[in-house]
Order: sequence, then structure tokens, then C-alpha cells
Amino acid sequence: MLAEESLTSAFDAIKANLLRSILTALAIIIGTAAVIALVSIGGSAQKAIENSISDMGSQVLSVVPGQKEKNGVKSAFIPLKLGDVRALENEKNISWKIAPEMRGNKQVKYISENANLPIVGTTSDYFSIYGIEVNQGNVFTENDLINGKKVAIIGSDVAKELGTNKKDLLFKNIVIGDSSYRVIGIAEPKGSGGWDNPDERIFVPVITASERIFGRIWINMIVVKSAGEFSLPQVMIAIERILRRTHDISPGEDNDFRVYDWSEVKQLQKETTNILTTMIAGIASISLLVGGIGVMNIMLVSVTERTREIGLRKALGATQQDILIQFIVEAILLCIIGGLIGVVLGSAIYFSIASYQEWPIVMPLSAIIGSVTFSALVGLFFGIWPARRAAKLDPAVALLYE
Amino acid sequence: MNVIEVKELEKTYYVGDIEVKALRGVTFDIQKSQFSAIMGPSGSGKSTLMHIIGCLDTPSKGEYNLNGENVAKMSDDQLAKIRNKEIGFVFQKFHLLPRNTALENVMLPLKYANIGRLERSEKAKEALAQVGLSDRIDHKPSELSGGQQQRVAIARALVNSPAILFADEPTGNLDSKTGEEVMTLLHKLNNNGQTIVLITHEKDIAVQTQRTIFIRDGKIESDTIN
Ligand SMILES: Nc1ncnc2c1ncn2[C@@H]1O[C@H](COP(=O)(O)OP(=O)(O)OP(=O)(O)O)[C@@H](O)[C@H]1O
Ligand SMILES: [Mg+2]
Repeated sequence: MLAEESLTSAFDAIKANLLRSILTALAIIIGTAAVIALVSIGGSAQKAIENSISDMGSQVLSVVPGQKEKNGVKSAFIPLKLGDVRALENEKNISWKIAPEMRGNKQVKYISENANLPIVGTTSDYFSIYGIEVNQGNVFTENDLINGKKVAIIGSDVAKELGTNKKDLLFKNIVIGDSSYRVIGIAEPKGSGGWDNPDERIFVPVITASERIFGRIWINMIVVKSAGEFSLPQVMIAIERILRRTHDISPGEDNDFRVYDWSEVKQLQKETTNILTTMIAGIASISLLVGGIGVMNIMLVSVTERTREIGLRKALGATQQDILIQFIVEAILLCIIGGLIGVVLGSAIYFSIASYQEWPIVMPLSAIIGSVTFSALVGLFFGIWPARRAAKLDPAVALLYE
Repeated sequence: MNVIEVKELEKTYYVGDIEVKALRGVTFDIQKSQFSAIMGPSGSGKSTLMHIIGCLDTPSKGEYNLNGENVAKMSDDQLAKIRNKEIGFVFQKFHLLPRNTALENVMLPLKYANIGRLERSEKAKEALAQVGLSDRIDHKPSELSGGQQQRVAIARALVNSPAILFADEPTGNLDSKTGEEVMTLLHKLNNNGQTIVLITHEKDIAVQTQRTIFIRDGKIESDTIN
């Protein structure tokens, strides 16, 4: 029989039992929808990470605390301190910008509105390293920084979190923890590139953060941006040399801190996301396989129900192969239709989540092609057995079947 | 010329350990353009015989030539091709596909013959005209009377211009008036040269044909010209 004929007759058969067909395809629909939604969300995450990393600029290095390792035993994390920042700043042979980052969340209040927001204790160089524009008010003065004044520069979304207008907050006092801080500047929006919103941060002088807000001297990170006269590896070596000296590490011992080049981190992130995506796809394909078993079950029922029809078709000249193809095409078509519905459903779920979360949108083309192809293969695999049963029916017996 | 030559045909079914001899040595010929009836009591082997000479089944023993070709030893695919080209079936229960129109039902054998869409619908319309249903081609079986459904089935059996038409109790599901209409149609086809083998319980129907082969217990008891 012609291929086009088997397709129309398969469509007819699916239509004739529409509700049952949809229920059968449900597992395929859910499986495909899960693949599409999860893989796209993974893609979005990847994209968000890439965006936020490229926001930092490629010349930015970060120094984070590490562990000491002695005779294979790892110690606790060795904190980075403000002294480390000063040691780097004292290096006059390299022109670089250095800023500490002391970070933590605090309850912030304005009039009667409350919000839990990230507080970043740092210096004015932080803004130029990350290209954050403070376009209303000013950055910290030398006096603010040295004396740990109670001043704050707020991200562009902080006002909204505190239930007011941006302009209202400039030169007003907000309460961080339990004392009050004067807003001296408002940063331009950076836009959300990832999971947390950089525009919700509140910046204070690092001394202020250390002494008044967090009451600690260790910092979370030191960010370094080289002016470009030295290559990144050279700058990394310089950082290591200086910090090893201040940390009193003797030659041959490992570093107790880590220096990150963000382009490496990006690579690592990509790999992690890929592994995650593969795992998700694997789990979802199990659902597709389960769907395949459902399809096989229904195809077997359908073969039994249509025994007389099969007998008749054979009496009219259908070969075993004709019958085989008819039922396989039906199973594959059922799975492809399920797959396509799943793609639409999964994309809808993804788009609504992504737009709600303001994630960057990625079109998961390979996931779409992959999952529909996989559905078709599931149909082929699980359709063969019922189809063979149909093809092998004895026409003389099948015709008499009641 | 003989369309069918059957020699010492035997068919044995095995149900578990029990042997059921449905045919025990049947020998006869059927000439071209002959209208014969096979008669016999229930369980005598009529349907079994029709299945074998209709190439739906193969004999356990014996020889069968259709149009001079030995069919007994043919493969499944070869038999399918013969059923498609040489044989037309009409069943007691019509066996129409319920979701398809009369035209689509009649076109079905042509699909398996790999005939293109246009030629298919032309031939099917011709066959439906032959049975007087030109005005019902877009009706589904449920929208047709029993007699009309059986006429669609006859059109489907004729559409490939088969060498022989088998009708297994074609009037069994019809009242006597529509049954007569179907018989009139079969006679008309026979007058145009169509070879027909009719299987029936009813003496009244058998006597309308040219020849009655009477079987009992898997053997021919009598073979008479009417
Ligand atoms: N597939 C089968 N398996 C086992 N026995 C069978 C099979 N088909 C037919 N028989 C047996 O073979 C014998 C002949 O059956 P057949 O159907 O040919 O009778 P029939 O003359 O057509 O009867 P009826 O007039 O009731 O249709 C019966 O005893 C029947 O039980
Ligand atoms: Mg019978």
C-alpha cells in the first residue's frame, strides 16, 4: 500500500478513538513537555550565568577564601581580611583596581516598609570594576571610607522594594539592621542577568559593613581588575605572590585562597549545566518509555478489537507487510502527535515561567527535535510487537472473530 | 476452461490433541462463467472449503489449481496478491469499514494493488454503478440499508475484476425481499460472464444457480446440474 494511504488510515484510526488516543499519548505528552520545559530552563540558567559573567568584564579576577591542605588533611576555610586588600593596594608596580566585597543580607526599613536585602560593604572602585554607574548622588568619599560613615548607595530596585520612589530616597535615611544610614547615591539599573537581582543591592563603605553591620573582619571576596598592561595570568601570579606573603605561606605549601578567572568559571558552569540537562533529559526519557508501554498496551487492545478488520483487509489483498506498516505507522503517529502536543505544552510552561522570572529566553530547538524524534522511536519500538501480532493473524480465523 | 480445479483436498484442524477433519478428500472443477452453489448442513465444511479455494487458507493435503496455477504451495505474500487480483469475497456480515464511505470501502482492494488515487476512484465509481449505488457513494455503512450495504460489498468484490467471486451466505443477514434483490444482482453479473461460487443453507437459493455441490462431513455427497 502507498505510504500516504497508511498515514491517512492511521489518522482515521486515531480520530475514531480520540479520547482513548489522547489518554494513551498522555505519558508521551508529559514526558516531552518535561524535556522541553526543563531543558529550556537549563538553557536560560546557562544564558543568565553567561550574561552575568560577561557583565563583569573579562579582565576581572576574584579572590575567594580557600582551605589549607596539610598531609592530605584539609583545614577550615582561611578567611580573607581587609589586610589582604591593603596588601594588594600597596603593590605600586601594577596598576589595578581592587575592591573588597563583604556581603550579607539584612533587614532594611524605610518609614514602615520592610525588606530583606543584600548589603555589600566595599569601596568606590567596586563601581568602576563592575561598570556600575552611580548616576544620582555620589560614590563614597575618602572620608566615608576611612571613617566608616553611615552612608549607603542603593541599587535602582531598592526603592521599589521599600515601597517608594527612587528619587524619594536620595539623601533620605534608611534603617539597616538597627541604625540609620543616609542614601548618598543611586545606581543605574544593571538588569537581572540571573537568579538574584543585582539592582536590589545596597552598598556601604566596607569599614561600615565590618564594624557596624556585620561585626566581622573577614570578607567574602576581593575583586581585581587589571588596567590591561599585564595579562591575566601575570596578574594572577602577582596576586598569589602578595597574598602568600601576607598569609605567611612557605614555599612548597599550597595557597589557602583561590583566584578565579571568570572565563574559566564560565566554562565550568557550562559543563555543570550540560550534565544537569543531560540528567533531566534522561529522567524525562524514562517517562517517554513508560508512555511507550502505554502505547503498546493500547495498540494490543486495538489489534484485538480490529481483528475482523484485519481479516477483511487481508482477504482483500493486504500482505503481512501492509498490515505491519499500518499498525506501526499508527503507533508512531500517535507518539509524534503526543510529542508535538508535549512540545507546545512544555514551551508554554517554559515561556510563562521565563517571562515571569525575567529570564533570558532560549529556544530549545535541539530539545524539540530530539524529543519528537525520540517519541517517534518510542512509537516504532513499542508499536512493532502489536503490529507483528496483527500482521501474523490468520485471515480465515480473523474474519470469523466476533 | 476451468477456473478452479480441486483434487483430493483435505483440511485437518488440531484443537489441542483433537483432530478435526473438516475436509476429507474433495474433488471438483468449476468452469469459467459458471454460477455454482455449495450447500450442506452446518459444520459440513463449506466455509473451510471456501477459505481454501479463496486462498485465505491452505489445504493440509491435495491439489488446487486456480487459473491453471498451483496455489497449494504458495507463500503468504503470493496468496495475498492472488486474493487481491483474482478473487472477490462477499460475506454474510458485509464486513464494511464502518468509518469509511461506500466509495472508500470499494477502493480498499485497489489501494492494496498500489493503484493511484484517480484511477482508484474511477474504478470504484464504476463498480458502484454496476450495483446501482451511484447515488450513495458518499454514504457510510450506517447510512445504508442492509441490502445496500451488501451491494457495496459486492462492488468491492468486483472492483479488481476478479476471476471468481465467492459469496458466503450473502443473503443470510437480509430479509427475503432484499435477499432476492442481491440474488438478481448476482445473476446479472453472472450473465455478464462473472464466475460465481455461492455458499448457502437454503435450497430455494441454491436452485437458482446452475449447479449445486452438496457436502456432508467434509465430503461431496452430490454434484448436480440444476
Ligand atoms: N479454525 C478452526 N479450528 C478448528 N476447527 C475448525 C476451524 N474452522 C472450522 N473448524 C471445524 O471444521 C468443521 C467445518 O467447519 P466449517 O466452518 O467449514 O462449517 P460450515 O459448513 O461452514 O458450517 P456453517 O454452515 O455453520 O457455517 C466444523 O466441525 C468446525 O468446527
Ligand atoms: Mg460457514
